[in-house]
Amino acid sequence: MTDFRAAASAAAERIAACEAKGTHAFLAWSGEIMLEQARALEAARADGPLAGEVVAVKDVIADRWFPTTCGSRILEGYRSPFEATAVRRLREAGALVAGKTNCDEFAMGSSTEYSAYGPTLNPVDPARVPGGSSGGSAAAVASGAVDMALGTETGGSVRQPAAFCGIVGIKPTYGRVSRYGLVAFGSSLDQIGAFGKDVRSAARLLAAISGRDDRDSTTLDRVPLSEPGPAPTSLAGTVIGVPREYLPEGLHAGVRAACDRVLKKLKELGAEIRDVSLPHTKYAIPTYYIVAPAEASSNLARYDGVRYGQREDGGLADVRAMYRKTRGAGFGTEVRRRIVLGTYVLSAGYYEAYYGRAQRARERIRGDYAKVFAGGVHALFTPTAPTPAFRLGENLADPLQMYLSDIFVCTANLAWVPALSLPIGRDQGLPLGGQLIGAMEGESTIVRIAQALEAAIDKTAEVR
Amino acid sequence: MSVTRAEIQRIAALAELHVDDATAERLEAELSRILDYVAQLQELPEGGDGDGDTRAVRLRRDEVAPDRLEAPPADFAPALKQGLFLVPRLGELDRGEDESP
Amino acid sequence: MAWETVVGLEVHVQLLTRSKMFCGCSAAYGDPPNTNVCPVCLGLPGALPVPNERAVRLAVRAAFALGCAVHPRSIFARKNYFYPDLPKGYQISQFEEPLATGGRLEVVSPERGPFTVGIKRLHVEEDSGKSFHDRVPGMTAVDFNRSGVPLIEIVSEPDLRSPAEARAYLTALKQVLRWIEVSDCNMEEGSLRVDANLSVRRSGEPLGTRTEVKNVNSFSNVERALAFEQGRQIALIEDGGAVEQRTMTFDAATGDVRPTRSKEESHDYRYFPEPDLPPLVLAPQWLNDARAELTELPAARTARFIRSYELPEYDAGVLTGSRAIADYYEAVVAAGVPAKEAANWVMNDVLGLSEDGETLPLSAAKTAEVISLVQAGRVSRQAGKRVLAELAQAPERAALEVAQELGLIQVQDAGQIESWVAETLAAHPAEVERYRRGEVKLMGFLVGQVMKRSKGKADPKAVGAALEAALTS
Repeated sequence: MTDFRAAASAAAERIAACEAKGTHAFLAWSGEIMLEQARALEAARADGPLAGEVVAVKDVIADRWFPTTCGSRILEGYRSPFEATAVRRLREAGALVAGKTNCDEFAMGSSTEYSAYGPTLNPVDPARVPGGSSGGSAAAVASGAVDMALGTETGGSVRQPAAFCGIVGIKPTYGRVSRYGLVAFGSSLDQIGAFGKDVRSAARLLAAISGRDDRDSTTLDRVPLSEPGPAPTSLAGTVIGVPREYLPEGLHAGVRAACDRVLKKLKELGAEIRDVSLPHTKYAIPTYYIVAPAEASSNLARYDGVRYGQREDGGLADVRAMYRKTRGAGFGTEVRRRIVLGTYVLSAGYYEAYYGRAQRARERIRGDYAKVFAGGVHALFTPTAPTPAFRLGENLADPLQMYLSDIFVCTANLAWVPALSLPIGRDQGLPLGGQLIGAMEGESTIVRIAQALEAAIDKTAEVR
Repeated sequence: MSVTRAEIQRIAALAELHVDDATAERLEAELSRILDYVAQLQELPEGGDGDGDTRAVRLRRDEVAPDRLEAPPADFAPALKQGLFLVPRLGELDRGEDESP
Repeated sequence: MAWETVVGLEVHVQLLTRSKMFCGCSAAYGDPPNTNVCPVCLGLPGALPVPNERAVRLAVRAAFALGCAVHPRSIFARKNYFYPDLPKGYQISQFEEPLATGGRLEVVSPERGPFTVGIKRLHVEEDSGKSFHDRVPGMTAVDFNRSGVPLIEIVSEPDLRSPAEARAYLTALKQVLRWIEVSDCNMEEGSLRVDANLSVRRSGEPLGTRTEVKNVNSFSNVERALAFEQGRQIALIEDGGAVEQRTMTFDAATGDVRPTRSKEESHDYRYFPEPDLPPLVLAPQWLNDARAELTELPAARTARFIRSYELPEYDAGVLTGSRAIADYYEAVVAAGVPAKEAANWVMNDVLGLSEDGETLPLSAAKTAEVISLVQAGRVSRQAGKRVLAELAQAPERAALEVAQELGLIQVQDAGQIESWVAETLAAHPAEVERYRRGEVKLMGFLVGQVMKRSKGKADPKAVGAALEAALTS
């Protein structure tokens, strides 16, 4: 049987060592609680597919051991009275939950700098961001504190930090993993995703939590993913499309060099590389920045101080004053910006011009993917991010600049297709990520290709 | 597309967000810029593309089987009395509905 | 210049399900506060809705009963606003693509007789919690037991022309919805709520500005409130003023209708399709099954009672006041009681014994038993009423037994009756003579005398027959 207690102690040491460097990957973690979990798993003679694995969980996912703050003051100290399906499945698979990781407030951001509890540092270069919004989980894996972590995606928030930190991140097909217990940001986009030190770890984690959940109506009849097989040694017969919109003129030289290197390697492995087009890519960011804030403005209305969370009500005249003070004080700048933007695009007179149009643009983006995959392509390869990790503070002055860093990742969220980022080299010491995008429910295809690629390239090699 | 200060205040009110003057000024500029950027969607032709949403929601059997609340409201409510959640009085929100039976 | 009043009603009705619309909590009324709650109906972070099949079924049944077109595909939508008893800060409802549209309800107007009210739409949504303003001083107290209970919202076309018609519509609507067992439509318990829209105009002019009246807790108060508002609007316009589009609240104590404090501009609900719920798609077979669940509706049944049992309209109306009463009546008839007799007994005596005018205090079979005794002359009609009342308290007993115990059994023995008749005739020779000379009215007097002699125990019919026989011989 698995030695759960040894796993717990070892994990506690690793986490303590990493956090001592000031990474601030975790908002809450506890050796004691891990030991408690270990004892319970031992008593139950647990032997699921993740038996003895230690997993960190992004703080927008509800669990019963630690607070769930979502990186926000408005939920400071909030202990969820129920646990997310994904967390329950982790336990049932025999895993230990180490603690909750830092993130941009309510998952809104691309650098984890919008956390109300301070940023997380990139373990590879502490002057830089780990990416976001799941920066804490990415840093926890990249720093060696844990081998696996759960993050979430709405517009690339697992893949982009995976790229910035030099690890693997997978976003499943929309509806593959239950959102019950995932604090909602953009409901038609949100998915829990998996970080791993390698493709296999991330894929195993995703498999354990995936599959239909009767508590989440959007999981439809999605089957659970199967465990990853061995890494293929050849990709003969595999057709990989490269959408030209993702390798534009003026792309960062290091990113381009890394991608060229990957394409060369894929050919060597026997894959056919095909030039394809996703013509509506340029509309992805505008579409995303209408749909996501609109849904967020509605999803965050529940934070009103009435039933849970922080409340500002000292000497207030009436309940409306309580709402305004609570939300004004409890929400940070970026969240307030998105709530205002989202409320605006839904408001009377503007709905058709913005939200209505964005939904139609979204259909076209989905259509682009459907056409490409119907044409015989098994997966697409693109860079994950337009640059390596930027410096702390670099993109804070201009929110639009921050939004543009999502340019290669957010189409997959809009189109619901699965996507994966794996480390494909370094540029001046900074990790670079390559992205594989699959057809709807095509996780196993992109995992297989990623495994082959991972085995064939040196992820820490300088690309130019 | 520029957003006016008055609109910012109206939207903030709809969203029950207190927004001070400095923030409102900043939001005016930022939102105008973002809305200008997203306006490029107007380039796309009217009308959808494809079949629309072909999914169908799954319906649940009507039986009493509540989701677990593993801690009672007393554990997480900011203010609870006689089992009821308390908030300050309605004031402006008052819809003129008396205490229901 | 004649004034015309235009009224439209929005009625919210709770559905008779065991669990709530989007979660498995009990939908029961009256439990201790915040005991039927869960992450979903409390709007906790991370909770998600899962729709209740039976609620949809009942909604569809109601839609068919109201003659609506039921749309096989409809969309849930979020209606966004802030209120303490609305836990998510939005209500899951339906907006652009509702479950049903285009129905009708037959109503009898006190002013213009039978007419048809159009039903604009019927859709499914969830209820909010309940706010209490007087429990804790200076605070509002909220109970979320009601949060998430399934509702249908039924919106009428503005086809009503008076406060009285509004009331008639509500009565007819309640009758149908209770009949098909979709809701118990109990305004006191909050399972039926009304928002009334009223405007006035001079004949021939376009529609006036309407106000919305809320917080009415009974059908008669709906009529009162609308009468007040109608008067207020007319007076205002005649004075040179203009009606403002406002939400108004009814004060039951004074009968006044006054504006609420909440402002109109806050009603930008920012509807958008609910991203947590795929479309509601109903298969043709499922819809057919739902339609087949509908039995004969009240209007059809009333017509049949008039036709088949030859009952007057009023009687037929009372006897189809609820499906339970209608079924009861037909069971009494099926037990062998003639239709008109049965009608009289059920309408007057049985319902007269009912505590609420609706619950039937004893079985149809029992009632039929009593009526048979009366028909057979074993007891008088008056005595029968007494037996019925007794049985309402002790429904397992036999009617005959009770009649005997109470000494109500009439004497029908021919010999005994002849004897009393003979004695009576002997005692009143003058009246007998006058009767034989043509004063047939005196039969009444003579029957009365025989009854007196028998201490009320004689069967009056038998007495009448015996007297006739004796006097014509």
